[in-house]
Amino acid sequence: MAVTTIPAEFRGFLRRSLYEPFLILKKDKRALAGLLILLFFLLMATIGPEVIPLDMRTNFAERFKPPSRAHPLGTDYGGRDVLAMIVHGSRDVLSVAFLAALFTSLIAVAVGMIAGLKGGMTDAILSLVINAVLSVPSFPVMLIIGSVFKITNAITFGAVLSIWSWGSLARAVRSQVLSLKEREFIEAARTLGLGTFHIVFRELLPNVMPYIAINFIDTMRGAIGASVGLMFLGLVPFSATNWGMMLNFAVRQAGAIYLPYAMAYVLSPMAAIMLLELGGVFFAHGLDEILNPRLRA
Amino acid sequence: MLVILRRIGIALFTIFVIVTLTFFIVRKTPGDVMQAWAMDLLDTYSMTYEDALAMVKSWYGYNPNQPMLQQYIAYISGLLKGDLGKSFIYKVSVNKVLIRALPWTVFVLSVSLLLSFGIGVMLGMAMAWKRKSILDPLVTAYASFTGATPDYITALILLIIFAVNLRLFPLKGAYDATVNPGFTWEFIKSVLKHAALPIAAYTFEHAASWALAMKGSAVGVLGEDYIMAARARGLKERRIMIHYMGRNAILPLVTSLAISMGSMVGGSTLIETVFSYPGVGWFFGEALTKRDFGLMQGLFLFLASSIIFANLAADILYSILDPRIKLEG
Amino acid sequence: MVPLLSVRDLVVEFDLDRGALRAVNGASLDVQPGEVMAVVGESGSGKSTLAFSILNLVPPPGKIVNGEILFDSKDVFALSEEELRQYRWKEVAMVFQAAQNAMNPVMRIADQMVDTAQAHGKASKGEVLEKASELLRMVRLEPSQVLHSYPHELSGGMRQRVIIVLSLLLDPKMLILDEPTTALDVVTQAYILDILADVREKLGLTMVLLTHDMSIVAKIADRVTVMYAGRVMEVGKIEEIFYDAKHPYTIGLINAAPSLIGDIADKKPIPGSPPNLLNPPPGCPFHPRCAYATDRCREEEPELKEIGDGRLVACHNWWLINRDL
Repeated sequence: MAVTTIPAEFRGFLRRSLYEPFLILKKDKRALAGLLILLFFLLMATIGPEVIPLDMRTNFAERFKPPSRAHPLGTDYGGRDVLAMIVHGSRDVLSVAFLAALFTSLIAVAVGMIAGLKGGMTDAILSLVINAVLSVPSFPVMLIIGSVFKITNAITFGAVLSIWSWGSLARAVRSQVLSLKEREFIEAARTLGLGTFHIVFRELLPNVMPYIAINFIDTMRGAIGASVGLMFLGLVPFSATNWGMMLNFAVRQAGAIYLPYAMAYVLSPMAAIMLLELGGVFFAHGLDEILNPRLRA
Repeated sequence: MLVILRRIGIALFTIFVIVTLTFFIVRKTPGDVMQAWAMDLLDTYSMTYEDALAMVKSWYGYNPNQPMLQQYIAYISGLLKGDLGKSFIYKVSVNKVLIRALPWTVFVLSVSLLLSFGIGVMLGMAMAWKRKSILDPLVTAYASFTGATPDYITALILLIIFAVNLRLFPLKGAYDATVNPGFTWEFIKSVLKHAALPIAAYTFEHAASWALAMKGSAVGVLGEDYIMAARARGLKERRIMIHYMGRNAILPLVTSLAISMGSMVGGSTLIETVFSYPGVGWFFGEALTKRDFGLMQGLFLFLASSIIFANLAADILYSILDPRIKLEG
Repeated sequence: MVPLLSVRDLVVEFDLDRGALRAVNGASLDVQPGEVMAVVGESGSGKSTLAFSILNLVPPPGKIVNGEILFDSKDVFALSEEELRQYRWKEVAMVFQAAQNAMNPVMRIADQMVDTAQAHGKASKGEVLEKASELLRMVRLEPSQVLHSYPHELSGGMRQRVIIVLSLLLDPKMLILDEPTTALDVVTQAYILDILADVREKLGLTMVLLTHDMSIVAKIADRVTVMYAGRVMEVGKIEEIFYDAKHPYTIGLINAAPSLIGDIADKKPIPGSPPNLLNPPPGCPFHPRCAYATDRCREEEPELKEIGDGRLVACHNWWLINRDL
């Protein structure tokens, strides 16, 4: 009975946002696999730490143990369970990546919109800035900033990761805004006297959303890689269970790569990172298809 | 010509912006780092704390008594003279460090770029030419895999497998310490052995994406009329594949070359650290972990400027290769 | 006289997702040495596919399903890969439609000429360029200006002439021209046709000219073949076709062509739309649009019958057809 009373528009909306994407994902096996992997890690990050307790006390008698029933992924240099550390670390990894992507998107959208809407001198200057940000490789910049400013929590970490990463999204937003600016519905909105605020939020943003969404996943992926890289070099000493830190300890400080029976300890964070990134790549492909109807086979 | 000048202008402007940013960032160096250096100097040279601190600050190029603007001007004029600053841990000028480290990085990076681009382009051409071979799904799968894996993890895996476990390759250094540098076969062999894994790491990581890019471009070209026209003219298949498809398909990839170089340089810090390979990236990493801001700043400026100029060169190169393009503003 | 080109019962199918599309559905054609044969039909009539088949160059997903093509008494489909490669361009050359994109954009014209010649045997660069220059002058182009240029540096009309020169480079016995003037403006069109007539006179070439524009046919053709829905509908000498057409479709084409005199409102377009080549109607393919269609036309496909010397028609009611109706 309820179904018949739902207005047609809303049904259309539901169909577009839930049913169609679902169909697309079902057809594209890789995207489906990607989604499942991401959901797996999401679960791990949210519920995992409640399910698997983390005991950070050192127990040197148990160090570098190979996988066993008690410790499915072995133990680290301090005798601590690797699996527990991976599970707890997922929360850090995902939250930092999410924050980095969030900040990046905010900056990119702001810069892109302003440049596109204002035009003229503002646009010229902002374009130069975007150009500069794009020509200099971001990783060394992040390294320097991470070295000068102490990174103490996930938010600062996310901020550092986003400082040099917004360039390509800003460029995309800007060109989208430029092309939309000329279109009739903007003209119409203007003649109707609707303010800039309205134009930005009700007309422009919805059209820019697809780029932002796809870019979000990619930025998160990049942030994961960069964050682990930064930690691997020892620049971010605030979370010992974060996979990057685990890798840092394993390879650089404890020399675990030279101990064949500690392989699980070394390989676990690497495998976790690879799996998460792979999930991201596959899912991003599916997301691209959902938001870009032209790509659907 | 005007357009080229404009591009050069933008490049210089970008470098200028970077220089300024770096100047201000380094000024923000936390005081405790400088204090730590000062304490270090105190011990080594037995001077007073104030003297030590002043010396540290001067090594930064930082005369605290001067107003900021004068410091800035001093810094810029130093740069223009080629003075990139001094390293604290090594107690020599950054230029000296560069002279020692740069050849190794350039060697590894250029070989890697050539190899990965070359292999990738050939694979891509083959993939596009023979539509239904086993090559396509294999390379595509390989590409997703390496695309998802960060480059230092690929490097780590290679290190673990080949250096640690199989002992086929050495664990660190640019050449065996027991061998004397020179044009001897022994030295060259040692250099190659030590460079093999870093080069392999870069190449594994990037070859597949070049292949996919080339394939995409080549498939587009194959649909063009002139390919069919070439066949109608009775040209040999090989000639069509290389000169008609290949030469046209490769053009868009040339711009990516510069971007790729940029990301390779960016990644060099981690990869050289993994392999303990004494190139610019490794020294940069050392400077970072040991808080050697002088070295950090100098190396970073050098890296950033080279990338910017490399981009510029690639742009110009592209306009030469494709007769249809006139450089646009 | 033995025809230079002989196409017999050619069937070419395109294997698409929606089914098999018959681009050429049992076409036969004879071209005598030295003549200009115009093949006329709307787009979708199969003439381009027929042309490509002569070079055995039908692009996938197209396949030659049936028929034979004899050129100079050689079976084209039986040639080995190497023989085919030599045959192409040396014996039969083609001037493509939309010559805009028929040349490699990153190679100079001179290099593409040399490429073509050297693919068919040893030739020194100098010899090739000398020959090319001679031909370029014949089409009223200045060699020094053209040879060192890239394709995009030339105008449309110039490119078309370069393509013609390329096709003549190896002294082919026959030249196929696929809509050689479609993409050009009327003035350039006339110019190109002039040049083609010139070339034909000087070199004594056999030409197969594909077009949908009857006015070009009038200017240059000796004989005409009319195609519709992948089949040959009528064949005859040019005067026979223009003054005494026997097939309703041919009459429709001639009536529909605009001329300088007379009101364009007088022109009668052919009613209806082109046939569905995936699911062709039974009987004569033209019957849905034919004013003379009878029940027999709707059921039985008409054969191509010889009604005079080299005069062929595929219509059940051809003797009833009167042009002025």
